Parts: sequence; structure tokens; C-alpha cells
Amino acid sequence: MKRDAFGDAVVNTIAQYAPNIKKLILHRQVLTPLDLEREFGLTEGNIFQGELSLEQLFFLRPVPGWARYRSPIRGLYMCGSATHPGGGIMGAPGRISALELLKDWKKGKVA
Amino acid sequence: MIIGGGHNGLVTAALLARGGLKPLVLERRDVLGGAAVTEEFHPGFKASTVAHVLGPLRASVVEDLDLKNRGLGFVEAEPRVFAPLPDGGGVALWGDAGKTAFELRKLSAPDADRYPEFHRSLSAIAAYLSRLLTLTPPDIDRPLKGPILPWLGLGMGFRGLGREDAQRLLRWGPMAVADFATEWFSTDVMRAIVCGRGIHGIFGGPWSAGTTANLLLQAASADGNGAGSTVQLVGGLGSLAGALTAAARQHGAEIRTSATVERITVKDGRVTGVVLAGGEEIAARAVVSGADPKRTFLDLLDPAVLDPDDVRRLRNYRQQGMASKVNLALDSLPPFRGEVAPDLLRGRIHIGPDVDDLERAFDDAKYGGISRKPYLEATIPTLWDSTLAPAGQHVMSVYVQFTPYVLREGSWEARRDEVGDAALRTLEAYAPGISRRVVARQVLTPLDLERTYGLTGGHPMHGEMALDQLFLARPLLGWGRYRGPLPGLYMCGAGTHPGGGVTGGPGANAAREILADLK
Repeated sequence: MKRDAFGDAVVNTIAQYAPNIKKLILHRQVLTPLDLEREFGLTEGNIFQGELSLEQLFFLRPVPGWARYRSPIRGLYMCGSATHPGGGIMGAPGRISALELLKDWKKGKVA
Repeated sequence: MIIGGGHNGLVTAALLARGGLKPLVLERRDVLGGAAVTEEFHPGFKASTVAHVLGPLRASVVEDLDLKNRGLGFVEAEPRVFAPLPDGGGVALWGDAGKTAFELRKLSAPDADRYPEFHRSLSAIAAYLSRLLTLTPPDIDRPLKGPILPWLGLGMGFRGLGREDAQRLLRWGPMAVADFATEWFSTDVMRAIVCGRGIHGIFGGPWSAGTTANLLLQAASADGNGAGSTVQLVGGLGSLAGALTAAARQHGAEIRTSATVERITVKDGRVTGVVLAGGEEIAARAVVSGADPKRTFLDLLDPAVLDPDDVRRLRNYRQQGMASKVNLALDSLPPFRGEVAPDLLRGRIHIGPDVDDLERAFDDAKYGGISRKPYLEATIPTLWDSTLAPAGQHVMSVYVQFTPYVLREGSWEARRDEVGDAALRTLEAYAPGISRRVVARQVLTPLDLERTYGLTGGHPMHGEMALDQLFLARPLLGWGRYRGPLPGLYMCGAGTHPGGGVTGGPGANAAREILADLK
């Protein structure tokens, strides 16, 4: 219900600037935060795996003490947007995480 | 020479005189104290018209100026906070955390369980931050210049906090106080009390980033108690000006009232003195401004002597007022629902039932309107000093937030009464019939705070207490060491570190720097 209403709101907003748009729509897909959670695995639908606010950045991402891609459990690492430097399609969290994991691997600290 | 006989100006004057200088204080009004004054607003009724609770005062100021022996009577009001509930009764927070937790249990077991740790952690972090308040911020261009010892001490102190509190300190500062409050407490009223402290004096709502920093700074100025601080003065806050004036004069300072500084004079890039309204010129080795940054640099100085970049930075300094005061003369105590014992009303009375209501109050102001249901902090000083009103009658001092200085519609001259009406309408929900007990009311809008009390933009703190305007960035990056951009020009008001509140902190820090330069 709300999903469609929201789709309408988006189309109506665009139509204020491009009045022709409604006639051009062949099909529409609406993804709400709940869909982002269910289909794409983004818990609570947050597109950055957590707010990019000062208290959740850098050495505080995702939480203080877990910011070095390692979790408190040996062998469990993090490489997603919830780690520094956060969300956006840049691959940076994945790269830094891989480097950290390799460091541990070479020292025999992973398994 | 010191511009402005506000409490910080008087603290600076007294400490400079004690240090051997001969300062002259010039106050525009005929009363001293600035925003810490007690005035008769209706025949027989006296209120601390603007600020109505001490910061509290920094202990070293009280001691160095021997204020306790100059007739200052401190009242540690208990409970520190009382928050009436919409359907009667209310929640009281006491200085004793154990007592608070015990009483909270009637409301919510989880909140009662969390309170002692909230109080302990906040106290520990506040004690650490309080060491920062007494320091002169580092020089942004030469951060390693000057004594390094205090900074080493701060580093050690940070480690001394322990892992959990240290991590909390780093995390809490930038947080929205609504997130902070929600992490700790589950009831609407406890969350709202915490949020009230975060937004107090801020042009922002509980969901605005950095509002937790405001709460932490207040906690650091006081004892860090989970209930906040509610220290009052016998006779009202105006007693402070009397004691400070006595201290300053005894040490050799001269204080003139009804002396309006019109202009700070500059010759060859150096400040030389001031010109008063009426034309009198007074020369001085140094001019110390207790006025807010916008007034000092954009009004009293000729902007042509400043770097245009600095003028732009000053214009961007955020100093829009958000609060008003409504002082009520009452023929009897406000009739709070549920037969609230008068003893519970001695501290701060928090009116704001939940986070959503506080945020909506800000929403109105964000779009240039007066809050329809404002956040209120009230005190009834006649409960601990009956001389402030005729026998049996009372004064209720009500701090009202939000009322933006810049209104989108109409003018403050035309809309002043709306603030009084909104405050009373909001109070009526908790104390039905209070309006009929009002003998007289005084409403001070942001425009009145500007015109009468000299607070540019009506800002009670001389500028937003936000992370970008604190510490070495207060008032501007590079001007955080009480020295202005011209030789001979100093600042000692709430627009310098550690900012607003009746603490004397900025005045004391400034005096130390000025003495170091001039002695």
C-alpha cells in the first residue's frame, strides 16, 4: 500500500519538472527500505550499512574497538560499508580489509 | 579597560585588579551583571530576568575573589529537576543518584537500573572535560608553543578514564542527544529530560548533530551529576554582580555604569581606547571586550581595520537567538496536577514530555515560527528566597525555547505576547488554572535580549555552542586565545572558550592571558 503511494509521490515530484514523464513510464519498480533489507540484505534498509555521522566514522566504525576490520572473534573479519571509510561504490573498505587479513594470514594468525 | 559589566567582564576586572592592574569597567546599563541580573519586573516582584540558574560558578573564581565572604549565599536546590507528567505527578531527579534511582523504579525498572551507571559515566567524563575548561586553547598556527605539561596531563587523564568511558567520550560529542538519550533510557520523560539539557541554548532540536556535546559541556562546568546542576543564589543571580563589584573595587578596579561604548579606537593598527556615546574619549593600554563577537568586531570596531576574510568569518559565526524569557508574578503557587508537593518545585522544572514534542518545537523555529508548544525550563525562586515577592506570592521564571530571532512573518514588537501566551498555554496542560494566578508577566523576546541586554541576535550564549564554534574555534579559529586580531584588543565574554553559562570561566581564563601579556 504505502509502497505504491510512495512510488506515486516520486513520479509526481519528477512530473513537476518534467510534465511528460507519466506518459513515458512502461513499468516501475519501487524499493522501500524494507525491500532493501529483504532483497539486498541491508539491515534496517540503511544504504551505507550505518549512518555516516561523526560518531560512527573512522576509528568509531562500526563501533569503538572494532574499527580495524577484525571482530572480537578470531577468524571473523569485516569488509563492508560498515567499516572505514564507509559507504559508496569505491571498494575501499574491501581493499583495506583484504590487506589487513593478508597481514594476519602471513603471520599465521587467522586460522 | 573592560567593555561590559556582565558577570564575565566583572570577573576579568576583579582578577586583573587583584593581579595589580587598574582596570576600568564601562557598562551601558545602569545595572551590572549583564544577563545575570535580578530586576523588579512588577512592583514587589523580582526575578533573575535573563539567566535564572548559575553555571555554576567556577570554584577558583569563588575562592580567588573570596566571594563567599562577600555575602554570596549559594543554594543547592533539591530536587535538581522535576518533570511533571501530562496526567499528573512527575519525576524528580536528585543530587543523590541512589535516591533518584530508587524513585525512578516507580516509573520504570529498566531506567532505574540504568541511572546509576549513567550518573557515574557522565560524572567521570565531566570531571575529565572540566580540566579542559580552565585551559587557554592552543595556538592553531603554533600548537606546540607554550607549556606542554597541561596537554600531557590531559593525555594521561584520558587514559585514566578507562577504555569504556574514553570510547564513550569520543563517541558522544558529535551525537544527536536524542540518540544518546534513547541509548540510556526507555521512558519518554527521562529521554526528554536528557534532551532538554542537550538543546538548551542551542538553535537545534534533539535530532540535531552535536547536541550531546552541549550536554557534556554543561556537565563539565558543573559536577557531572546525572540530574544536571541547579545552583542558585540567595537574592537571585543579581547578587553575583554585587559580590563581584565589591571584589573588583576592593582590589582597585573602577566601575562606571550608564557609560555606553560607541566605538573602539584604533591607531596605526593598534587599539588605543574607546569613545563613549556623548563623545568622551578614554585612552587605554588594552581594551577587553566582554561583549559578544559580532558586537565587538562588526559594531564597535571599524570593519575597515579587519581583514575582509575575518569579517566574512565573523558574519558566518552562528549567533541567532532561539530563546525568550517569560517572568510571571503569581498570587500563589502554580497548581500542578496530582497535588505535587511544593518542595518538589525548588529546582529546575522541565516541561517537555517527549523527544518528538521537543523536536516539533524546533521544527516551528527552523521555519521562522514561534514554537506552538515550546520547551520550558522554569524556576520558582520564591520557594527558597521569599524576599523576592510580597508575602505568600511567588515568582515563576520561565525560559522558553524556541523563538527564533529572525521571524518569517511579522515582527517581535507585534508578536511579543504570543510568546507569553504559548508559555502559559503549555503550562496550563500541567498546572490547570495557572493563568488565573498570574498577577503580571514580563516577556523578553530575542529582540529584547538584544536591545536591553546587548546580546546580538538575542543569543543567550554569545553564539552557538556547537563543535565548530568551541575551544580553539571560539569565536573563530585563530582567535581562540582571548586575544583579538589587533594588538591591545582582548575578549573575555561567553563568545570565548569555554562559552556561555554563568560560570565566570571565560572571564577567568581571559584575565590570566591578559595578565601574562601586560605584567
